[in-house]
Amino acid sequence: MEYLIHLAILFSIYGILGISLNLVVGYTGLLSVTHAAFYGLGAYATAILLTTTGIGFFLSLIIGVLVAIITSFLIGIVLSKFDDDYYALASLGFNTIIFALFLNWQSLTRGPLGIPGISRPELFGFDFSSNLSFLILSLIILVLIFYISKFIVNSSFGRVLKAIRGDEKAIQVFGYNTAYYKLTIFVISAGMAAVAGSLFASYITFVDPSSFTVFESIFILAIIILGGLSNMRGVILGALFLILLPEALRFVGFPPDIAAQMRQVIYGLILVLLMLYRPQGLLGEYKL
Amino acid sequence: MDIIPQLVLNSIIAGSIYALIALGFNLIYGATKFFNLSHGVMAAIGGYTVFYFAKTLGWNLPLSIVVGVLLAGLIGYALDKLVYFPLRKRKASNMVLLVASLGLFTAIQAIIAILFTSQFQTLSQNISGQRIYEILGGVITQTQLTILISALVITVGLVLLLKYTMFGKAIKAVSDDEEVAKIVGINTNKIISYVFFIGSAIAGLGGILVGFDTGIEPTMGFALLLKGVIAAIIGGVGSIYGALIGAFLLGFVENFGIWQISGEWKDAIAFILLILFLIFRPRGIMNK
Repeated sequence: MEYLIHLAILFSIYGILGISLNLVVGYTGLLSVTHAAFYGLGAYATAILLTTTGIGFFLSLIIGVLVAIITSFLIGIVLSKFDDDYYALASLGFNTIIFALFLNWQSLTRGPLGIPGISRPELFGFDFSSNLSFLILSLIILVLIFYISKFIVNSSFGRVLKAIRGDEKAIQVFGYNTAYYKLTIFVISAGMAAVAGSLFASYITFVDPSSFTVFESIFILAIIILGGLSNMRGVILGALFLILLPEALRFVGFPPDIAAQMRQVIYGLILVLLMLYRPQGLLGEYKL
Repeated sequence: MDIIPQLVLNSIIAGSIYALIALGFNLIYGATKFFNLSHGVMAAIGGYTVFYFAKTLGWNLPLSIVVGVLLAGLIGYALDKLVYFPLRKRKASNMVLLVASLGLFTAIQAIIAILFTSQFQTLSQNISGQRIYEILGGVITQTQLTILISALVITVGLVLLLKYTMFGKAIKAVSDDEEVAKIVGINTNKIISYVFFIGSAIAGLGGILVGFDTGIEPTMGFALLLKGVIAAIIGGVGSIYGALIGAFLLGFVENFGIWQISGEWKDAIAFILLILFLIFRPRGIMNK
């Protein structure tokens, strides 16, 4: 039972990551490979604030979101100059730079040693230290993020995003400042990723840079491409599948370190096979 | 000892390694016009093949190196046949090709880690016994000298191939305009798959040489890929001379950068250089 709860918590964290990345990749058509950077910013904000100051989890979460918003705003300004494959490459570069910050800004992040002893959330005297209560908290946040995203994509703002994905030049002719729309959705998505990061840090009670590499960004990308770009339920399905899959491998009897590598083999191959046979993913409405 | 000559030497050595990756990358980009991110893992394939044949099976070294280079080339060729060719035939977008190459990269890297563990290993038999040369007040090992010479020989070889053989001219024709090349009777898909072989084989050689100089680990391909791609873009994507100039520029900026700042920031410095180029001169030094 504990184990199922653990998986469900991981699922809700990756669900948040997938839904938020889908706003940028699926709905706006920008192939961002830097989502793990914002995820990491949220995680580190919570880790550092909870271990060095007296402020609570929820305040640290808000600060993490703010840090991610400011950072993504600056990154987004640079990225707005690119599109398609150059966008993907430049965003991958930013993931590497922020990873280097986590790894090398030792006075703040303790570098490769990581930050242990992060406490669990507490709200009005209610303590989320049991896994079940933490699961409820993360599911509530997942549902919130789900409906916020749904609201965004169904609003007039969301329709402009889809139009940008379809034909950016055409929508510019109608007088829309597309750079502004792309930057806004990028910043919103980064803020949501930071929420997932705060949850992750507080749940695992430990963060180190290795959780926020480019490969993590590729993993999140695999979730949304598998489930289906531009489809919220697809993302949930993708997250569920890719979280459960490595566990299935463990049950088959692979030792843990091989199972971790098998996970990479499988999601790598899933990406290749999807590109070959079903580029819109399982439930997707949009092809890359 | 004066530090400047050593820094210059280190920059040239780093530049030569990056050139070996960037040359193949640019050759493939020229022919196919997509960012082939699986290119980096060819270096790891080359390195690990030599490790397996020379160290595990005890074959003699030159033969193992030849096998390593050929195997990297063959796997590059196979990936084109199995994945990239079908995608090109379907006229898939560059983003689809890029995501497929990311997937291949992730999967192959993890397969190497499963076969050989993630541990760092070295190819050279006796590190202390290496001959060391002194040039202009700086030191260079025999391996590093080999790297430098290989990069030079391969560049000259590629330039001659492209300029003076029918095959080379066909490659140039495909790079200039695939449709027109087809019309004049060039079997473009065959040419492209040979380009994959050559480019991947060069990357394999690069990986082998890095293995002798520092060592091999499954993730080595990613680091090399990033540097190769950065070199290719700042030099001018698709151009042989561009790859060379970009590689050496990157080598110099990195080595002088870490002299001024500190070693851990090497990757970040490289990416900042890339982003500066993308903003101010997105087509690189060579392309107008």
